[in-house]
Amino acid sequence: MLTDAMIRIAGLRVLYGTFAAVDGIDLDIRRGELFGLLGPNGAGKSTTIRVLIGQRHPSAGNVTVGGLDVVREWASIKPTFGYVPDRENHFEEFTGRRNLEFFGQLYNVPKLRAAEVLKMVELDEAADLPVRGYSLGMRKKLLLARALLHEPQVLYLDEPTANLDIHSAEVVHRILRERVKAGATIILTTHDMDEVEKICDRVGIMARGKLVALDSPLALKQQHTERKVDAIRDDGERFVYDLDTPVGRNDLAALVATGRALSIRTREFDFHATFLKLTGLAFD
Amino acid sequence: MRWYILKTLLKKEFARHLANRGGIALAFLLVAAAVLLSVFAPRETAAAGTSMVGGVHHCYIDFDRATPLVKHLQANVPPELKAQVVFREIPPDRIGTLIESQPGTGSIQLTTKHEPGKRSVVQVYVWHPDGEPGALAPYEQWLWKASRGAFALEAAEKEPGATLPDAPPFGSDNNWQVLESHKRFQDQVEAGRKGDAVMPLVPDMTINRHGLGGKVLDFRAAIATGMVVFALYFTCVYLLPTLNCEERERGVLLAQALTPASPTELLAAKFVFYPVFGLGLAATLAAVYKPDVLSSLFFWLALFAVGGGFLGIGMTIAAWAKTQRAAFLGGMCYLLSVSMLLLICSINGIPYLSYLAVEFHGPRILHAALSGTVQTTHWRHLAAAVGLAVAWVFAAGWVFKRRGWQ
Repeated sequence: MLTDAMIRIAGLRVLYGTFAAVDGIDLDIRRGELFGLLGPNGAGKSTTIRVLIGQRHPSAGNVTVGGLDVVREWASIKPTFGYVPDRENHFEEFTGRRNLEFFGQLYNVPKLRAAEVLKMVELDEAADLPVRGYSLGMRKKLLLARALLHEPQVLYLDEPTANLDIHSAEVVHRILRERVKAGATIILTTHDMDEVEKICDRVGIMARGKLVALDSPLALKQQHTERKVDAIRDDGERFVYDLDTPVGRNDLAALVATGRALSIRTREFDFHATFLKLTGLAFD
Repeated sequence: MRWYILKTLLKKEFARHLANRGGIALAFLLVAAAVLLSVFAPRETAAAGTSMVGGVHHCYIDFDRATPLVKHLQANVPPELKAQVVFREIPPDRIGTLIESQPGTGSIQLTTKHEPGKRSVVQVYVWHPDGEPGALAPYEQWLWKASRGAFALEAAEKEPGATLPDAPPFGSDNNWQVLESHKRFQDQVEAGRKGDAVMPLVPDMTINRHGLGGKVLDFRAAIATGMVVFALYFTCVYLLPTLNCEERERGVLLAQALTPASPTELLAAKFVFYPVFGLGLAATLAAVYKPDVLSSLFFWLALFAVGGGFLGIGMTIAAWAKTQRAAFLGGMCYLLSVSMLLLICSINGIPYLSYLAVEFHGPRILHAALSGTVQTTHWRHLAAAVGLAVAWVFAAGWVFKRRGWQ
């Protein structure tokens, strides 16, 4: 149990009839931490987020955000978090600016804030176009802009970079890092291990409603990356050298010393393989 | 309840209607229809009760020559029929033949035949709508009475000083024809009796006609009532659920629910905006039809009762339906079900059941307010409508609480 936990999930169970969508999760997330929640479809990620945003009551266990219970003190929690859903939900007939101004007024933030966040997500040029004309990526960025309006202490993001081009994804990553630096706590769900490795402080992997792994991306990588090197000699013959054994290391050194190595590659962390190893499930 | 949140939510509803102008366009069309209704029917006609006489709104009096009879008829059209009776001269060969007319019209053709040494014959052809031989009764009643007057006048002019029969007791009905026929029959029977009998054989007869106390339906007030009811139904049972469910379907309702706006504030904004829009539109329509109705307490109470009832119905549908299409179909199904219920109860004389429908009381109280015929019974209908409105609003709140925002 962390002493500086912003979000505390204890024994969380969520049942849909007799089906346990979330089956006894214990998880603490620190203040100022960017936490990645991974898992295949139906693993229980979205249900966990739904509990955190107060849209699903736990069947068992309890969840607190900033020390406040998400069921009993939801009204007090609401102004403190921002949420980016996986499915965009804007007023199609309004412009991007009008959408943000409306939500900004509900949060009682100045109108100028809408322009600030639009600029932040690089939508300032499209701000006065109706949302119905936006691309999927623009809609996604507008969702993030909306979630940032009131500078929340906690951000929940459901696949925030889906449908974004590389540059826009970089922009989102930069914004998230800035928010974390400012002390915000972020939970994001994603299927992209590179993204997790790049920006997350810790990762939780869910499968069948359970948390099957919980660590930093680096630690996960260290635990699950195969320490092997694939090499091709100049005569076309292929070799695999195991770096965990003295023989493997010596053979690789010999190959390099002879100067006959045509290609040498280390094996990268394979999230799919790791996931299969951890859960025995195929990743969607 | 925070005013800045409520104001923001209300502005949002208004802005959504400005962006999708279908609702506003329909409101303008309704107002235009009310203006047309007001402009194209003089108020005196409305005061008379109806502009539709016996299902025929115009009766043509066709004649081949302007005989004294025709001139007398032209000069003696009663005020209540002046707008409906149209005289037109047609070629003699068209008399007695079918002249195609618009639906809702009939004609009476007149021609006078003269033969030397013989009594003239006035031929009357009555062309009534098929299957409705009595459809021209109000016009015929006037025609027979005025003709009798014309013939009496002509006879008096031709034979000054002659002893002519007195004019029959013309009333507002056709009793004089029956009484005169009865009198003639009495005279014939007495003339045919043998000897000097003292007591007449056939008794005298008097006829007394009275209305049942009900008022003839004021069609213009009925149309105005229909428009007022429709305005309330359209805003509260159609616009409110469909736009609400559209927000739910798109997830925008959830997005609003996750902001500091409380469920009460979100509900209150919708509870305020749509009834105000509906009541404003309904009051405008009523004012166009009859401006002084706005100073009637009964009218406002009726408007609020019906508006409240429809609001409750609309919110219940909005809470139940998951999608915009479901909300639209829900509204239609409700309308159809209630219409069928009221029709079945009315046709089969089933008591009390129809009292449970706002739609049973609403049109009655609004029509009474618009036609200025409020009676004690209408206050009872108003009380029932208020009770039903309260019940529906509570039902809506309960369902909304159970169903949530998603």
